[in-house]
Amino acid sequence: MTIVLEARNLKKTYGDVQAVNDVTLSVAEGALFGLLGPNGSGKTTMIKMLTGQIRPTGGSASVLGIDVIKDPVGVRNQVGIIPEQETPPSFLSAMEYLHFVAAVRKIPDIEKKADWWFDFLDFADKKDVLCKDLSRGTRQKLMFTQAFIHEPALALIDEPLINFDPIMQDLVKEYLVGYVKKGRTIFISTHILEVAEEICSGIAILHKGSLLHTGPVAEIVAGNEHLSSFFLSLVRKDRHA
Amino acid sequence: MPELFHAMMKEEWRVHSTMFGSLSFALFPVMIFGIAFMGAFLLPLMRSNLPAGNLTVIVHASYLMLGIMVGGFGLLGNEVMNRRFGQASLLAYSARSLPLSEQFIFTNFVVKDTVYYFFLWVLPFGSGYILASPFIGVPVTDALLLPLTLTLAFLFGLCGIFILSTIYARSKTALFVSLAIFIAGWAGMSIFTGENPALFFPPLLLNHAFSWTNFLLSCMVLALLFGIAIALFNPESVGSEKKYRNAFASLVKRLSFLPNPPLAAKDTLDLQRSGSLVGQTIFSFLLPLCIIWFFLALLGPYFPPHGLLFIFAITTGVIASTMYTWVTMFDNFGPYACLPVAVSTLIESKLTTFAILQLVPAIFIAIVAVFAGEAAYALPAVVLCLAVSFYAVTVMAWLSGLSPSVLVYDVKVLATYLVLVGIVLTVFTAVSFAGGYYALSSVVLAVPSWLFLQKAKARWDAVDPAGF
Repeated sequence: MTIVLEARNLKKTYGDVQAVNDVTLSVAEGALFGLLGPNGSGKTTMIKMLTGQIRPTGGSASVLGIDVIKDPVGVRNQVGIIPEQETPPSFLSAMEYLHFVAAVRKIPDIEKKADWWFDFLDFADKKDVLCKDLSRGTRQKLMFTQAFIHEPALALIDEPLINFDPIMQDLVKEYLVGYVKKGRTIFISTHILEVAEEICSGIAILHKGSLLHTGPVAEIVAGNEHLSSFFLSLVRKDRHA
Repeated sequence: MPELFHAMMKEEWRVHSTMFGSLSFALFPVMIFGIAFMGAFLLPLMRSNLPAGNLTVIVHASYLMLGIMVGGFGLLGNEVMNRRFGQASLLAYSARSLPLSEQFIFTNFVVKDTVYYFFLWVLPFGSGYILASPFIGVPVTDALLLPLTLTLAFLFGLCGIFILSTIYARSKTALFVSLAIFIAGWAGMSIFTGENPALFFPPLLLNHAFSWTNFLLSCMVLALLFGIAIALFNPESVGSEKKYRNAFASLVKRLSFLPNPPLAAKDTLDLQRSGSLVGQTIFSFLLPLCIIWFFLALLGPYFPPHGLLFIFAITTGVIASTMYTWVTMFDNFGPYACLPVAVSTLIESKLTTFAILQLVPAIFIAIVAVFAGEAAYALPAVVLCLAVSFYAVTVMAWLSGLSPSVLVYDVKVLATYLVLVGIVLTVFTAVSFAGGYYALSSVVLAVPSWLFLQKAKARWDAVDPAGF
């Protein structure tokens, strides 16, 4: 089993705040791995560190065999990323943004690939609209497209279904499950436990920056327990500890 | 109104203190105070070469310039400001969620900015001068008058550009008509009086001979300009969809000779589609420099031959270096965080776009040289202007990375910038005064510029990108 993502004693502090505290986890190739946790538990900070957007205060991490501290741009070159908040540049149209991404990532045949995504996510009528004028949902579709258009071996997504309507959520879940079946890996961060239980093969639970649990979803569900009740009891116990 | 205004004042403080700490921001006016206080002690020395009245002209011109540089509120589209501050939800964009009109929020925003500029620049400078006045033999009444007339000079610049930028945001034709009327009036005044119209600048007149009538008249003019500008302000429409055919792909091909063609193409489209290219060129470059020319011309007799052209080339170089803020105002690092782009690459690409924009000052100085009857010195003047601009921008990039507009209020940043740029300006002013063609020696600034660029790239790659 090849490990594609590994964090060893990863830490991040912002002043006095310990955002991530000594987290060690690994993700195998072909997994759809979910990083779960309540708001403010450190999920976004973890993704930012794993994609080289911010530097860890301590520990180390490698993604697809690349050290995220030594070569953050190299990591971002290999993976697909959907950040939690960022939106595409204001004054490019949706199509131009995909051309921009293709030019930076050196992706060939962008026109054809972009058209496929516009049709697949049902926003072809918006391809010439400036990004600043797109609705939040359409911006999310565009961000989803830019993360997968180069078919990366690993995609890291912060809250993948946020801003999508139920039909689009269903389509995207199906796509993610199909994507890992092709041998690729997806690392998502979410606090929507039903989604995690439905599509993830493995999970890690963060609370107040610390890792409470990591393992396969199947193990939890095998005990006739839902992921949500397992998660809630774990977090509540930690809160009172 | 008071609640929103109070909240905006706090917000502005936090935007800066989040970036570089409360103390560094709080010390900014202290530094301006110190500069004015210590600078005042040089006045007796300077008076031997330059009459006091002319020094007053320089200071008032500087504050008029400050007002002009910050007054382009009419150009503030919501999206531009949003990108500039990352994903921060500023109160200025709360019209969609609060029962307040865009106009009302915008008025508060402009007043808040004006108050901040007053406390950061105008008041500390005036206070420094007042405190130093007993030691340099300036009567206290004269010293007390200076902060008042400087405030008026600042407000004239601010309100003048505010109204012109709001006219521009509504109709480019209306702007050009307004400018034509302004230029005709300016030229008419010059022809009928036979004097440089800058001499009739109300704050200068008040400084020479204060009268309550003229003071109240100036205040009324300012209030009128401000009121019209607020009424004309056109909030960015929400819900409209602007469509463009793919211009990016062909632009990348055309810019393929540059180091980072996709990034340069994106910056070019940002500038073009936001209206900033024309707007900023007019309001942050051409207009201030044209006005400065008239003020500097008053000092012409005190400069050596050709000195006016070279001092103007240096001034233009400094103003041209601020074009870096035009290309960095559209985005912080955020939108690039999901792409294989380093902060250093982004700085390099912004400076590439900046380099293209330098065509504007180069052509401008060449034209000024020709019109001033100094065509023979056009080349050294252009070289000096560009050398100063590139040097100043690399210092700025080293000190502030991709956030020059915010980090300039970090006292450490501004002090270092003033020292590093000030030394170079002094040296090359002296060199060009010694002989016009000596200004060509400013090409040596390419060496420190290159070094500062390397330092900038290494420095900003080593820290987490700033955001809110």
